[in-house]
Amino acid sequence: MKIPRILLVDDEVAFANNILKLLSKRGYDVIAVNDGASAIRTIGEKEFDVVILDMKMPGMDGIATLKEIKKKEPLAEVVILTGHGSVESGIEGMQLGAFDFVMKPVSIDDLHEKVCQAYQRKLIEEERVKQQESGR
Amino acid sequence: MKLRLETIGNGDQTSGQRRGRNHYSRLYRKFVFLTLICSLAPLFLVGWGIYIYYSGFSRMKIESYFKSQVDHHRGIIELFLRERTSDLQLVVFTQSPDYLQKTPNLRRIFNVMNREGSFFADLGIIDDQGRHLAYIGPYDLMGKNYSKTFWFNEVMKKGVYISDMFMGFRNAPHFIIAVLRTDGNRKWILRASIDTEYFRSLVENVKMGRTGEAYLSNREGILQTTPRFSGKIMENAPLPAVFFRKESGIGILETDRDDPNRRFPRQIVAYTWLENPRWKLVIKQDYSEAFRDANHANRAALIFLHLSLLVILIISVISTRYMIKVIKKRDEEADRLNRQLTQASKLASLGELSAGVAHEINNPLAIILTENQVIRDSVEEILTLDESFKTELFTSLSQVDAQVQRCNLITQNLLRFSRRTRSRLETVNLNAFLEEIIQLMEGRAKGMGIQFSADLEKDLPSFLSDPSQLQQVFLNLITNAFDAHDGKPYGTISISTRFNNQREGVEIVVTDTGSGIPPENMEKMFDPFFTTKPVGKGTGLGLSITYSIIKRLGGDISVQSEIGKGTQFNIFLPFMPPADVQENLDDVFVNPPSSA
Repeated sequence: MKIPRILLVDDEVAFANNILKLLSKRGYDVIAVNDGASAIRTIGEKEFDVVILDMKMPGMDGIATLKEIKKKEPLAEVVILTGHGSVESGIEGMQLGAFDFVMKPVSIDDLHEKVCQAYQRKLIEEERVKQQESGR
Repeated sequence: MKLRLETIGNGDQTSGQRRGRNHYSRLYRKFVFLTLICSLAPLFLVGWGIYIYYSGFSRMKIESYFKSQVDHHRGIIELFLRERTSDLQLVVFTQSPDYLQKTPNLRRIFNVMNREGSFFADLGIIDDQGRHLAYIGPYDLMGKNYSKTFWFNEVMKKGVYISDMFMGFRNAPHFIIAVLRTDGNRKWILRASIDTEYFRSLVENVKMGRTGEAYLSNREGILQTTPRFSGKIMENAPLPAVFFRKESGIGILETDRDDPNRRFPRQIVAYTWLENPRWKLVIKQDYSEAFRDANHANRAALIFLHLSLLVILIISVISTRYMIKVIKKRDEEADRLNRQLTQASKLASLGELSAGVAHEINNPLAIILTENQVIRDSVEEILTLDESFKTELFTSLSQVDAQVQRCNLITQNLLRFSRRTRSRLETVNLNAFLEEIIQLMEGRAKGMGIQFSADLEKDLPSFLSDPSQLQQVFLNLITNAFDAHDGKPYGTISISTRFNNQREGVEIVVTDTGSGIPPENMEKMFDPFFTTKPVGKGTGLGLSITYSIIKRLGGDISVQSEIGKGTQFNIFLPFMPPADVQENLDDVFVNPPSSA
């Protein structure tokens, strides 16, 4: 069975490292980067199933990164990390094609559940695309 | 003590304190003074002008009346004397002395002359030696010789003579008219004395009012008639000579207080000289009586002036009171707006700060939470670890989780208060909405012995509002009401809704029977982080959030509280939220997120 590959984008290094450890333990292949530009670069190098994307980052912010990711890897599902005051940016992200958003501080169980849902959705989408291609 | 709090702060009290009672009473006195000055100055000026003009005018009128009276009366007296002289001349020039010497003839003539009135007291014929030839009259004068009398010489010289008053042989005051006729060598005189009483009544005929008198006096100042009040005939006239220097005149006579003859303190006197004889006719009247009408008018004017003063005073007091009331109201309104503005800016800056803090705290919280989980995961992996130690460690880690969640709740509240959350407008049926909330809270209320009472306006229209925010408002208020009942065995929370047609909205009143809010807390109660609850029980954000939500929805909130009796929150919500909130409606409500 294929191990789901996750790209974690968060400028908070400690947070990113913790999530990397926790998700890795739960059986995911996680790569963590700390800014939008690195995320775009990494997306170009490898294929990812789910992207966990922080909205508030210095330099390239979450929304811009999301747009780029969706351009490069339309099938990758994006789970947005947002603060309580930035629900609007979460909603905006969803309008741009993100799967859902979770609010910081988030428990690993909640995040895990959300990532699972996103991965399942990704698999379904992948299947649908494959069927469309073979049907042609 | 009952306090009323308008929106925020302690309403009227603040304005009262800021400006002070003295400020308004000073303003009041100043306004009354100015109004009085502005009204009284022209009133006095006009009153004074009218008084001066009218006094002069009435004095002139009265003087000219006196003048005309004295002139007219002089004419009457002169005419009387001329007519009587003519009577005598007619007789003396038409009848012979022989005829007149016969007593019956003289009596007939005397009677004829007195037919129109008892003008003459007696009538006699005197020859050029001064002998009384015939006499008709009440005195025994026959045989008297007048050759030595002053009047005899005068009439012999002048032909016609009217004497002054004198006593004569009869020893009674009288005056005579004597006419001389010369016929060749023969001369005789027809002499008549005028009835003193008749003449006096003729002179007195001009008397004016109760205090008026008229009399005649000769050049030596001897009274020729008895005046009504002052002096007797043949006595010295009471008026000083200075009065009579001119041919005629008018003046005011002041009598000294210590004058024994003082009857009237002030009199108006008019006089004129007769041609023949040279008597002066004097008319006097008490000044106050003469000027009675003018004085009456002056008194009426004075009463009118006082009335006007009173009316002006009353009007200025009433109008000033009204003005002060209006000014006070305006000031209070301005103060209220000012306080609202201050509160709003305070909340806004606090909101900015809170939002920043909340954001910054979120990240470390997220790290702590994940760090906790990392520890938990790592410990799980160590199989050799003592079970009881593990349990203790996990309890501690759970406590860390719980405290992180608590911090999270605080940051959530901070962000809600800081208006960073958007309004989601939906059509709200307020009555049904409130009933739901009451149902939700009823269980907890029962446990505390608190009863809900709802008095909801029927047919209240549904309107656009943010149900989740409204829910927070009412949950906050009800939770506070619960806390206010701490230590009370039972209580009531009443919720009522009323349609406000004028403001196009709904008024919601939430009343509790709790412990009430102390006056010193009234001003601060909507401030963020202000709480009277024990540490850990309240964040002090509930009422600030309530306040900012209601304001954002275009409404207002006010509170009245009485210690020991309870608190009442009055909320107004408009049917149409403000335009900026409605703009969000387009973003959020009309285009909902597709993949939620």
